[in-house]
Amino acid sequence: MKTLEVKKPSGYTSQFGPAHPAFKEPVMFTLELEGERILKADFAPGQAHRGIEWMGMRRNCLQVVFLAERICGLCGITHALSFCRAVEQIAQIQPSNRAHYIRTIIAELERIHSHLLWAGVEAHQLGFDSAFYLALKVRENVLDLLEALTGSRVHYSVIQIGGVRRDITPEQCADIEKSLQFYDETYEKLVSIFLEDTSIKMRCRDTGVLTPELALKLCPVGPTARASGIRKDVRVDHPYAAYADLDIHPILPDEYTGEIRGDVYDRIVVRILELKQSIGIIRECIAKMPEEGDLLAIPKLGVLLAKLKAADGEAVGRHEAPRGEVMHYVRLTAGEEAPTAWKVKASSYSNYMAWIPMLEGDQIADIPVIVASIDPCISCTDRVAMVRGDHTELLTKDDLHRLSVERMRRIQAELSAG
Amino acid sequence: MNLNPLLLTVGGTLAMAAFGLFAGLSAMAVDRILAARMQARIGPPFRQPFLDMAKLMTKQNIIPANAVPWLFNGAPLVALAASISILLYLPMASFQFLPILNVYGDLVLIMYLLLLPALAMVIGGLSSGSPYATIGAQREMVTMIAYELPLAATVVAFAWKLSHAGLADPFSLATMAQTPIWSLVGPMGDIGVGLLLISMLMVVPGELGRIPFDAPEAETELAGGLLVEYSGRNLALFLLSLAVKTIVVGALIIALFFPYNLSGMVAIGNGLAARLADVGFFFVKLFVILFFSLSLVRISVARFRINQVVDVYWKIVGAISLIGLVLIMADSIIR
Amino acid sequence: MNILTPQELADVMKEAAGDGFQSARCTEWAEGVKGLTSKQVWVNLSRESLRPAIQRLIDIHYPHVAVIAFADTGEQVDLIYHLYIYYGIPHEEVLITLTVSLDKTDLKIPTITDLIPGALTSEREKQEMLGIEVVGIPDGRRLFLPEDFPEGVYPWRKDESGIPSDMIKELWATGREGLPTCATCEAPPLAPASQGEPS
Repeated sequence: MKTLEVKKPSGYTSQFGPAHPAFKEPVMFTLELEGERILKADFAPGQAHRGIEWMGMRRNCLQVVFLAERICGLCGITHALSFCRAVEQIAQIQPSNRAHYIRTIIAELERIHSHLLWAGVEAHQLGFDSAFYLALKVRENVLDLLEALTGSRVHYSVIQIGGVRRDITPEQCADIEKSLQFYDETYEKLVSIFLEDTSIKMRCRDTGVLTPELALKLCPVGPTARASGIRKDVRVDHPYAAYADLDIHPILPDEYTGEIRGDVYDRIVVRILELKQSIGIIRECIAKMPEEGDLLAIPKLGVLLAKLKAADGEAVGRHEAPRGEVMHYVRLTAGEEAPTAWKVKASSYSNYMAWIPMLEGDQIADIPVIVASIDPCISCTDRVAMVRGDHTELLTKDDLHRLSVERMRRIQAELSAG
Repeated sequence: MNLNPLLLTVGGTLAMAAFGLFAGLSAMAVDRILAARMQARIGPPFRQPFLDMAKLMTKQNIIPANAVPWLFNGAPLVALAASISILLYLPMASFQFLPILNVYGDLVLIMYLLLLPALAMVIGGLSSGSPYATIGAQREMVTMIAYELPLAATVVAFAWKLSHAGLADPFSLATMAQTPIWSLVGPMGDIGVGLLLISMLMVVPGELGRIPFDAPEAETELAGGLLVEYSGRNLALFLLSLAVKTIVVGALIIALFFPYNLSGMVAIGNGLAARLADVGFFFVKLFVILFFSLSLVRISVARFRINQVVDVYWKIVGAISLIGLVLIMADSIIR
Repeated sequence: MNILTPQELADVMKEAAGDGFQSARCTEWAEGVKGLTSKQVWVNLSRESLRPAIQRLIDIHYPHVAVIAFADTGEQVDLIYHLYIYYGIPHEEVLITLTVSLDKTDLKIPTITDLIPGALTSEREKQEMLGIEVVGIPDGRRLFLPEDFPEGVYPWRKDESGIPSDMIKELWATGREGLPTCATCEAPPLAPASQGEPS
């Protein structure tokens, strides 16, 4: 008599992404699921690569500053700042202290705007749309302020090698103070919604846990690391810009909750508390800003380019982006305008590996919540080679190109006829 | 003539269908505008859901290659037909000829019919051939199992009370509409009925797939869940069935808990003015119930995970409804 | 914790690398009114002494691997390991950079993921972008490049194994007369606008 072998049902593999409402940028997750539980997770980034490092190694350093800023929309200034700091160290160009303070103020304003956007996105992933609308509405204030200071809401283009391109006048300092007062008032509301709401706690407590041991070994950065108890903050560890003159400490979740669990809720705590810290830092910078100082160490671009062409050496420039440490490695060779080597390390690059232990063991419903909790900036991370080869996928791109050429013809025809 | 009642029934069915669709879409519009205002937004114009349905009807109906075509196309039709058919068994306002199919169905039938639209969505989801839809369908089945408990407890409580009070046809909705339950119970029973009302209000978002119980359709997790592969006319039919179900659930709660009519309380007579006043009052009651159970809840909390949905419905809402049932029974025994 | 100065750290690295040690230098850079300096130690060593050096660093303070940078210097490919220690102690963090130069004829390097698992992303990226073989890597799949990217093309190399010119699409070239036609579509050249004749 044959006995029937009963096979234990194994998990099924499901793919989330690259295009999915849960992810604000394309990234592909392949998950082995058993019902609603995630057994194993694997991700494939690279869906948004654009070839920026390759492009940067074929352009001069001034062009690279603008290219670097466009690596990411949310943390654009961090890339420009890190690159400029690296080049300044190689060419031994020291910006004035006033420029350092202006850089710090703009960087902290960017942190406020990025954390508010992140809070809204996290609430949306949780299904809590009211908090999403509130966070984005509140964020409009800092975006208007940044537009008044720098001229744009996203890519500020104020950082240049040797200093900053725009000044902050005393009238603008008064506007900044008004904005900071608005954020002081809304801070309590944000705390009560994000940190004290029961449904958010139900979803986020003990979800997506990253233990301190793994946080040490996988080398994440920023709030992801700090929420698991690792005291890593570039602004504190590494004296640069105006941070060296300020007295700040890395924010860990036990300041608010009394314990460190490394879950999604702890990451929310760290980011909301950092909002308050940023408000304090901006106030301190405005108060302590030196009144005298050139905005740019070498104002004439021709002179600057010549100096950079003669520069030789290698250096590392870093900044604490809202997501963690951003690091640019630059190597310049005398006589060449383009950098010999340029390696960008975005904060999400380091945080990627933390996704795997966080996702395993949790439910599908938690995927968007966990993925958003490390505040991924896929655009920052996918910067590698330009991929335009002759393979079948490109047929559609050829069609697009042909349409583009035809449109160009129509425009030219109109121009010549009109 | 034998045709006359049949013609009246058919005509009444069509009229109820039209009413259900129109009122359902209007309820959706009111919900969206109120939710938007509460979130410091402006919200859409009132005719937005109507425009959306009209637009969906003109869009291409895509059937995925992996789907089972007859199930995929049949499920929305079944859902809409089931939703409309429940309307035929519900009393509304003070119209004597409602429910249309009065003698043919009662509360137990309504409970079963309420399952049909959800089942049709499950079958539609499972026949879509998409892993997201499969997960969504599984979640919908679990949610249905979860909210049946408080629903059943309510039905049992009402029927028990009415039969204990000696009324014939305790399950019939017309009976319940004529003898409101509040008039049959004492103070302890009042608390019991109040608890049953609370539990029914919490069942409403689950039935209609709204936050916090919209795990089957979680947009950010499952890209639309059950309905992910539906488009065009099929999607319009599903959304219309949900709109009609909104009216159904609202009218059911009114019939069970608030069957009072203005003409019975205020002296307006029995003519056209009374009818209009009753209809207006019916809409006011409907609006209040849907506001508190749908709009207010939807904007105030986050979405629950599916295991939390089951926990909430079985442990919390189930407990509330069972306590309500026990209180009603105790009240009747003591009196 | 006993915090070592950069020079002491350079000496520790020299001792750990042994025969593989090639050179070391310490640099500083100050910013801000107070003039506090940030410290860097740059060490060049051979591929065999990489792992002992990192092990020695782990004994001092578990390092944070930032990234493995690269440089294509013609005959050789440099792999530049950026490690940070003493984070968490205000203003005391030290960047330790270990540069390993590999000949292009022998592009192999041992993995460090068993010592520091967080370096996996960087090692996978170097494999696909530079054509380096990381010996003992637990997961050698491509990371950022798509699966159908041609084998043997390494985007960051500046020699013949870099991106060939037929893989580059110049967006400004729309087939105008006198300018190169687009490589991937056969659009004939447009007449220049000044002639007033649409083609």
